[in-house]
Amino acid sequence: MLPTIEFFILIILLSALSGILGALTGLGGATILVPIYTLYLGIPIVYASGASLISTIATSSGTASAYIKDRITNLKIGTGLLTATTTGSIIGSLTVAFIYSHHLQYIIYIVFGAVLLSQVYVQLQRSKFELPRGVKPDWTTRVFQLYGKYYDMVLDREVEYIGVKWWLGEIIMFFAGYISGLLGIGSGALKVLAMDWAMNLPIKVSTTTSNFMIGVTAATGSSIYWSFGYIQPFLAAGTAIGVLIGAFIGTKILVRVRNKTIRYVFTLILAFLGIQMILRGLGYGF
Amino acid sequence: MDFEDLIGNTLRIGVIISTVFIILGSVMLFVVGHSNGYTLSQISSPKTVVNTSEFPPIQVAKGVEELQPIDLIFLGLMLLIAIQVVRVVLGIAQFASERNKLYTIITAIVFFNLMFAIFILPLLIGK
Repeated sequence: MLPTIEFFILIILLSALSGILGALTGLGGATILVPIYTLYLGIPIVYASGASLISTIATSSGTASAYIKDRITNLKIGTGLLTATTTGSIIGSLTVAFIYSHHLQYIIYIVFGAVLLSQVYVQLQRSKFELPRGVKPDWTTRVFQLYGKYYDMVLDREVEYIGVKWWLGEIIMFFAGYISGLLGIGSGALKVLAMDWAMNLPIKVSTTTSNFMIGVTAATGSSIYWSFGYIQPFLAAGTAIGVLIGAFIGTKILVRVRNKTIRYVFTLILAFLGIQMILRGLGYGF
Repeated sequence: MDFEDLIGNTLRIGVIISTVFIILGSVMLFVVGHSNGYTLSQISSPKTVVNTSEFPPIQVAKGVEELQPIDLIFLGLMLLIAIQVVRVVLGIAQFASERNKLYTIITAIVFFNLMFAIFILPLLIGK
């Protein structure tokens, strides 16, 4: 085992690195952090998830304050969907408490691996269009006031949009919250899927709104993790400091780097860790 | 200053304050070498028994007064959760001031879920 101070610095470096990758790819860095902690540092998955979940709040709050300034986040759509994610997160956290207390950790490894591999798919299939296709408003558009506009810097014009199928968004969001509570990750990819694919919102609106939601959802799950004792001060402190540094650097270089290579490298890492997590869950080595 | 600026500033300042506490606690942990009766090596071990289960909010408040490193770290982490609560409360205020009944209720539901996770559930599970 490494001496204490070196161990702490290693935690900060790894979290910063995944924070940078998270910011560059639009996926939360936590997604790769938990597998790295458990597979390579011998940290119990329960502590890895705890440190990751609470650190997710830090990155969400840090970057969300920047997005609010740009007025892209849709507060109504975000808050409406939060009813589903926070409920999902409560049930997910309670499920994981049941799993840990019955020593069924292998389930978490397998689910985690499956989530990583599904994100490989999401990364490869990422929507190529800046704006969604035009759709007719449905009854939820009217009742839940699912419309908005923002100024798009790239297109250099005001973009007006409407959202549809609120109910489908809610259903997907419930699962996003559930996964967040179960695995201790932000599950931003699922959140974007709900708004992007189901509710037909522009990608910029769905990413920024998802980022806003991740903070409140992770706060709900973290509180439950707190009472069950899944948060370990040493690891959580290093991780929170690291991901904040990483997210800060990531958003600074985001403007300059629009590199496809980064996405491919990240996708490879996701696939590699996903397979390893599943193998560990099935009882093979690692 | 409108609500969105207020929310943005709350988030930014909140994260800064919480980070300061986390860094302060970490530095003190290394300088002092122990906290709350545990040695540094007990605290830093990957499979440590030192976790949040023994540190409910009231305990943390007491420990912060004594400048216990772990309690300072936990205060920083609790602030991260608290910022989100403040943010949701500001959301309720914003929708209420716009007289948007539906969204005032929806935001209140989110607030209830947060309160349930923070205060009610620990009582139910007896922790």
